Amino acid sequence: MGTSIFGIGLSGLTAAQAGLLTTSHNISNVNTPNYSRQEVLQSTRFPQFTGAGFIGQGVNVDTVRRVYNDFLGAQLQQTQAGASQLDTYYTQLTQLDNLFGDPVSGLSPALSDFFAGVNAVASHPADVPARQTMLSSAQALVSRFQLLDGQLIEMRAGVNSQISSTVGTINADASGIAELNKRITLATAGAGAGEPPNDLLDQRDALLADLNHQIGATGVQQSDGSFNVYLSNGQALVVGEQSYRLAAIPDSNDPQNLQVGLQTASGVVAFRPSDLQGGALGGLFAYRDNVLGSAENQLGRIAATLAQSFNDQHQLGQDLNGQLGGNFFTMPQPQVQVSVLNTGSAALAVTITSADALTASDYRLQYDGANYTLTRLSDNTQQSFATLPQTVDGLQLSLGSGTPAAGDSFLIQPTRFAARDLAVAINDVSKIAAGAPIRTSIATANTGSGQISPGSVDASYPSAALASTVTLTYDGTTGKFSGFPATQAVTVTSGGTSTTYAAGTPVPYTAGATISFGGISIVISGTPANNDTFSITPNTGGAGDNRNAQLLAALGRQNVVANGSATLAGAYGQLVSFVGNTTRQAQVASDAQAKLLSQAQQAQQSISGVNLDEEAANLQRYQQAYQAAGKVMAIADSLFDTILGIAKG
Amino acid sequence: MRISTPLIYTLGAEAIERQQVDLFETQQQIASGRRILTPSDDPVAAAQALNVTHAKDQTEQYSTNVNTATSALALNDSVLSQVTDLLQSVRTLAVNGGNASLNNNDRGSIATDIAGQLQQLIGLANSKDGNGGFLFSGFQVNTQPFVSTATGVLYNGDQGQLQLQVAPARALAISENGSATFEQVNNGNGIFVASAAATNGGSGVVSAGQVVSPSAMTGDTYQIQFSVAGGITTYDVIDTTTSSTVSTGNAYTDGAAIAVAGMQVTISGAPASGDQFTLAPSSHQSIFTTVQNLIATLQTQVSGASGAATVANGISTALQNLDQALETVLTTRAGIGARLRELDALAAGNDDRTTQYQQTLSQLQDLDYNKALSDFARQQLALEAAQKSFAHVSGLSLFNYL
Repeated sequence: MGTSIFGIGLSGLTAAQAGLLTTSHNISNVNTPNYSRQEVLQSTRFPQFTGAGFIGQGVNVDTVRRVYNDFLGAQLQQTQAGASQLDTYYTQLTQLDNLFGDPVSGLSPALSDFFAGVNAVASHPADVPARQTMLSSAQALVSRFQLLDGQLIEMRAGVNSQISSTVGTINADASGIAELNKRITLATAGAGAGEPPNDLLDQRDALLADLNHQIGATGVQQSDGSFNVYLSNGQALVVGEQSYRLAAIPDSNDPQNLQVGLQTASGVVAFRPSDLQGGALGGLFAYRDNVLGSAENQLGRIAATLAQSFNDQHQLGQDLNGQLGGNFFTMPQPQVQVSVLNTGSAALAVTITSADALTASDYRLQYDGANYTLTRLSDNTQQSFATLPQTVDGLQLSLGSGTPAAGDSFLIQPTRFAARDLAVAINDVSKIAAGAPIRTSIATANTGSGQISPGSVDASYPSAALASTVTLTYDGTTGKFSGFPATQAVTVTSGGTSTTYAAGTPVPYTAGATISFGGISIVISGTPANNDTFSITPNTGGAGDNRNAQLLAALGRQNVVANGSATLAGAYGQLVSFVGNTTRQAQVASDAQAKLLSQAQQAQQSISGVNLDEEAANLQRYQQAYQAAGKVMAIADSLFDTILGIAKG
Repeated sequence: MRISTPLIYTLGAEAIERQQVDLFETQQQIASGRRILTPSDDPVAAAQALNVTHAKDQTEQYSTNVNTATSALALNDSVLSQVTDLLQSVRTLAVNGGNASLNNNDRGSIATDIAGQLQQLIGLANSKDGNGGFLFSGFQVNTQPFVSTATGVLYNGDQGQLQLQVAPARALAISENGSATFEQVNNGNGIFVASAAATNGGSGVVSAGQVVSPSAMTGDTYQIQFSVAGGITTYDVIDTTTSSTVSTGNAYTDGAAIAVAGMQVTISGAPASGDQFTLAPSSHQSIFTTVQNLIATLQTQVSGASGAATVANGISTALQNLDQALETVLTTRAGIGARLRELDALAAGNDDRTTQYQQTLSQLQDLDYNKALSDFARQQLALEAAQKSFAHVSGLSLFNYL
C-alpha cells in the first residue's frame, strides 16, 4: 500500500513538474512570433480493482499540445497575404503621390514658365534676351520632364530589385518549410502518433506566415504531418520534403521588367504577373503594371504632344535669319521591344503621326502567319489586319525590314520614354521662328478702301514656300482679281461655302471671303477700286513679326492632348488626379485590410496567445500541486515508518 | 475572450502609432499652411487646384501682355502727339506763307523754317522703342523706315502690325506701321483733288471743293479747260479718263461754283486762255511729299498775278493735304486711345480674375487654421490618453503580487 501511495504521489509530482515546465516554456516564449501556447493534457491512471471497488492509481501525463485552431491559422495566413499586398502597393504609391504632390517641383510651374517665355518672344520678337528666356525656359521644362521621368524610372528599378529580393526570401522560406516538413515527419513517426512536435509546427507556421508576407500561398496538411504549399496560380512551391525554386528574369517582351517564374532544369517557366496574387510580390506587380507604367505613359504623352504640336507650328514660322522654322523640340520616338522568343527577322518601325490621337497605353502586335493582331493593353481592345503599314491611335506601324514569322510578338510603347527623350532641338536664339513667312500690303496708289488681312499659312505651305511677291490686281469692270500664281488653284471660302478656281484664272471678289492658295490664306475686305493692287510677299527681314510666336503661345491654352479633350496642363492635372485617386483608394483598401488582419490576429491570439497572468496562475497551481504531491510522498514515508514501528514493536 | 499579453503591447503600440501619424499629419498641415499635402489627401481638389493655378498663370500672363501693350501704345501715342504738334506748326507756317503781302524772300525763309521741321518729322517717324527697334517700320524693326533720297522720302518698312493676345479671345494691335500712318494719307479734300496746271498763265485759283452729289460721282478724272475769246471767258469740261467732252462753252463767272459729275469747286480770279484745272479722284500722298511740295511752292520765285495764283494754288493744295495728314494721325491716335481704354478695362478685369482664382485656390488647398489647431489639440489629447492608459495597462501583472 505504501508503494502505491508513493507511485501516486510520484505521478502527481511528475504531472505538476510537466505543468511547471510547460508553463515556464510558455512564459519564456511569450514574445516568440507565431508561438502557440502549450498545455499539458493529463488523465487518471487505470484504477486498480479491489474488493472494495476501483482504487485510483494517480495521474498520467498524456501529451503536451499546442493550443491551435487550424481554421483561424489559415484565415490569418490568407489575410496576411492580402494585407501585405495592399500595404506594399500603398507604400509604393505613396512615393508616387509625394512626387506629384509638390506644387513647386511638379510639371505645372515649368509648363507655365515655358509659355511665359513664348509670350515674352511674342511681346518683343526681335529682342535677343526675350528669345534667350524662351530657350532657357524650354530647357527648364525639358529638365523637369526628365527629372520626373527619371524618378519614375528609379521607382521601376526599385520595384525590380524588390522583386528579386522577394523571390530570394520566398525560396528561403520554401526550403525552410520543406526542411521542417522532413523533421516533423520524422518526429511524428519517431515519437508515435498523437505526440505533436509543437515547436516545430510553430516554426513551420512562422515560415508560412513569412511566405505569405512575400506572396499569396496556401498550405495543405498531409496525413504524414507535412504541409504542401501552393501559390495562387496553383503552382506547388513545397511538396513534402521537396521545395521548388522561383527565379526573377527579365520579361521576354519588355526587358526593363522582371518577371517571376519557376526554375526548372531546362530554364525558367515564367508566370503571368497577374496570376500571382497576394503578398509583397502581388503588390509590386499591381503597382508596376497598373500604375507606374500608366504614369510614365501619361507623362510621356504630354511630352510627345507638346513636342509635336509645338514643332508643327514652329515649322510654319520664320526665324530671324529669314528661314522657315525647324523642329523646336527633338521628337521622342516610340519604343518597340522585339520579343526574345521571336523567330522571324522582322523589325517593326513605329512613328507618331498625330500626337493628339495618342493614348497612354502600350500595345502588343502579334503575327499569326497571316494576320497581325494589335492589342491595346490598357483595355485589351484588339484589331486585326493582313498587311502593314497601318495607322492606329496616332501611330503608324510599318515593317522596317525582314519578315515576321508566325507567333512573333512586339511590344510597342509609344510614350513610355517620351519624357526622358524630350530635348530642345535648337540652341541658337535666332532659330526661334517667331514671325510668319509671309506678309501682305496694299499699294499706296490704291484709291479704293480695300484692306488685306496679315495672312496665315498652313501645313502645306513649307513644301511650296512663296519665292517672290504675288500681286493681286482688281479689275473693276469684271469684279475679279488676277495675278495668282499660275500653277496653284485658288479656293475662296465665304460663309462656309468653298469654291475652287483653276490655276491661272481670275477669281471673283467677295468681300470678307477667305482666299487660299498654296497653303496661304488671306482675307480681302472693303471696296477695292479698279487697278488697285494687293501684295503677298515673303516676309524678308520681318524680325519684328510675332504672328507665329502668338500662335505658339496659344498652344498653351489649346486642347491638344487626347483628341482635343485636354490642354497640356490639363493632361498633367489628369495624371495627378489619377495618382491621387489611386493612392487614396489603395490607402482605404490597405486600411481596411489592416483592420481585417488585426481582427484575425486577435482571434488567433485569443486562442493561441500566451497570457502572462494566466501563466502566473498556472505557475501557482502547478507549484501547489507539486507541493501537495510531495506531501503525499511524505505521508507515504511516515506511513511506512508506522509499519516499520509496528514491526519493531 | 482571452487576450494574449503580446497583443496588449502590439495593439497598444499600434494605437499610439496611429494617433502619432494623425498628429504628425496635422502638424505638417499647420507647418506648411496647406490642407492638401499630397494629391491623395483630396484627389479632386488637388487636380482642381492645378487647373485653377494654370488659369491664374494664364490670367497673369494676360496681365503682363496688357502691360506690354499699354507701354507700347503709350510710346506710339507720345510720338504721334509730337507729330501732331509738328504738323500743326507746319500748317501755321503754310498759312503764313499764303499771305499775299509776302515777297519771294519772306516765303524763302518760311520754307527754310519748314525744311527744319521736315527733318524733325522724319526723325520722329524713325523713332525707336526701348529695345532699339524702329517703331514705324512694321515687321522690319531693324530697318530704318524713312530715308531721304533725291526722289523724296522713301518707306523701307512693311505694312506689318504687331498684335498681342491680351484676353482669351482678344488680340490687340500694339504697333502702327509707317505706311498707314505717314504714307497712306488721302490727298485733296479726301475724295477728289482739285489742282491747277503748272503751266497756267492766268490768275485763277481753285478751291478745295466738295462733293455735292455722291451718286453722280464716276471716279473719272475731269479737266476744266479755259478759253478767252473777245473778252469772254468760257470753259469746257472734258472727261480725260474716257476722253469725252462733257460740256463746252460754259460761261465763266469769277468765284462761281462749277459742278462736275457731283463734285463742286470754285475758281476765282482771271484764268487765261488755255489754263487748265483738274479734278481727279483722291489718291495717297505721303506726309513728307506734302511738306516737300509745300517747301517747293514757297521756294518758287514768282511774280505778278499769275505767280500769286501759283503760290495760292500750291498753298491751298498743301493745306488740304496737311489737314488730311493731321486727320490720319489723329484717327490713328484715336484708335490707340480706344485701345488704351480697352486695356485699362482688361487690366481691371484681369486683376479681378486673379483675385478670384487666388480665392478659389485658397479655398481648395489652404488650411483652415481654426479647424486644424482644434484638431491638433484633440489629437494631442487622444495621444496622451492612449499613452497614459497603455502605461497603466502594461503595468498590470499578476506577477506583481506573487
